[in-house]
Amino acid sequence: MSVALALPTRRIEEWKYSDLAQALGEAGFGDETARVVLDTLPAGIESFDLDGASRPDWVAAYYGKLRGNSVSAISLAKARGGIAFRVPKGQVIDEILSLEFAGAGHVRALLVLEEGAELTLSERVGAETRNSGLEIVIGPNARLNHVRISPVSDAVQVEEISVTLARDASYRGHFANFGARLSRTELEIAVQGEGAEVELSGVSVLSGERHADVTTHVAHEVGRTQSAQLFKKVVSGRARAVYQGKVSVAHGANGSDSRQSAKALLLSDRAEADLKPELEIFADDVKCAHGAAVGDLDADSLFYLRARGLPENEARHLLIHAFLEDAVDGIANTDLRETVRGAVAAALDEVTA
Amino acid sequence: MLDIKNLHVAVGGKEILKGLNLRVDAGQVHAIMGPNGSGKSTLSYVLAGRAGYEVTKGSIAYNGEDLVALPPEVRAAKGGFLAMQYPVEIPGVTTMMFLKSALNAQRRSRGESEMDAINVLKQVRAKAASLNVSEEMLKRALNVGFSGGEKKRLEILQMALFEPKLAILDETDSGLDIDALRLVAEGVNGLRSPERAMLVITHYQRLLDYIVPDRIHVLAKGRIVAEGGKELALELEAKGYEQIVKDAA
Repeated sequence: MSVALALPTRRIEEWKYSDLAQALGEAGFGDETARVVLDTLPAGIESFDLDGASRPDWVAAYYGKLRGNSVSAISLAKARGGIAFRVPKGQVIDEILSLEFAGAGHVRALLVLEEGAELTLSERVGAETRNSGLEIVIGPNARLNHVRISPVSDAVQVEEISVTLARDASYRGHFANFGARLSRTELEIAVQGEGAEVELSGVSVLSGERHADVTTHVAHEVGRTQSAQLFKKVVSGRARAVYQGKVSVAHGANGSDSRQSAKALLLSDRAEADLKPELEIFADDVKCAHGAAVGDLDADSLFYLRARGLPENEARHLLIHAFLEDAVDGIANTDLRETVRGAVAAALDEVTA
Repeated sequence: MLDIKNLHVAVGGKEILKGLNLRVDAGQVHAIMGPNGSGKSTLSYVLAGRAGYEVTKGSIAYNGEDLVALPPEVRAAKGGFLAMQYPVEIPGVTTMMFLKSALNAQRRSRGESEMDAINVLKQVRAKAASLNVSEEMLKRALNVGFSGGEKKRLEILQMALFEPKLAILDETDSGLDIDALRLVAEGVNGLRSPERAMLVITHYQRLLDYIVPDRIHVLAKGRIVAEGGKELALELEAKGYEQIVKDAA
């Protein structure tokens, strides 16, 4: 057991840019259980406290079953709480399910959308050191819009989100990261039903010595599936942004379509961005495109704006906003989109000040 | 209004302008004509204050003030405007938002109050119609996906909106068909006024059929080599630059 639950080291390829053991120090994640805090439970959603006895069938059927990494295995073994949610068949929930991972330690959550269900999930992350695991099961023809905002903290925060999609299901996830001592958001997405679609986007605005790592793995296990990823990073000071994105297309998953783009803007000489898109294709008839770029603000654009009267800092600010905009624009829910825009604006004030 | 004396400008260590003299008074429209590589764009950029265009000798006075010392945004707020040959595309910033930000930045710099979105929109609309700039263009990202003609029309719209004292038009005719050229020229002519000076930089005489200058200067190898009235443009068209430059030497 102790071997299986060891923390990953930088010798493991996927953890090369995020030195978890060093960031945690001897204390590690500890043995505490963190909490899932809920504003209110929207009508139509069923919930179950994972600490409770006699798990209902739907929890027993899905909890701890999705593919996860080694850190996720630790939270499964150690977490003594968390919440499971179920949106029953055909339920379209208009109200946002708003939850926060809070407190230090390990925590789990499970979200099951049954056939034809629709939900918007807003996820917030408290500033403590935490190892979270979130499993999301999206049934046939069900749709989930997910927005996760991770504010600035000095803690070590690891979260793995495992998602599985059935036939014609849709998952749209946005991940806004403002950096921690070490922040790792890992998405493990299994596209298992034909016609299913995944759209991932995210922004990171980092300053000081903060770190934010978004690592994704989208597995097209069957054909006629789509995935799109767009991640933008603005990095200043001595901060470090990481994007590792692997798309794999299985044998016979013909007609899969995947797009992947990651771009970073470095605002100081000591800022760092490690962008690593990766493709693993075993099928024949697929369309896959990927790209990554790291750069500075465009000098022509900067001159144009200044020549029209915008002071340099204002012009830079406008261009940085513009750089991030297409990654924020895709958030389906208007309120959450504005919330992310507000958080980005606040973070940029700190970056360009 | 603009007084350039013995101007030497280097770009990347290479001298492009080599002792240029030019004086433009309020109310006048002057044209700078010259072959490719003569230094026309360098002149426009150095007047607008682009980084990398180093004044190594000489002076540029704008209303008696040393222009070289001022950053581009201060020149704009003080009434300088350069209509660019290649307006840049900026995804993620709508045209309308850009116009409002730029106008208010200039107003702030002059100590004037900012205009709210509705008043900016009114001003823009009043000027957009005659330049055939649609509402839809104003909602799109700045210059993104605009045709060559649309970009140039938007440049002139900005000129109308910012009401500069000194307007420099760098190859505004390039890439325009005859209808677009006429529209742009009408926009420019509408802005001629006793308080405003204009410098029209062009390779071809064509534009000057529509924007008739008070004076024409021929730029070659970094210096003004010939000067004259509007008839000089026709002479240039007939003889070609080579002959004029040779005659001047």
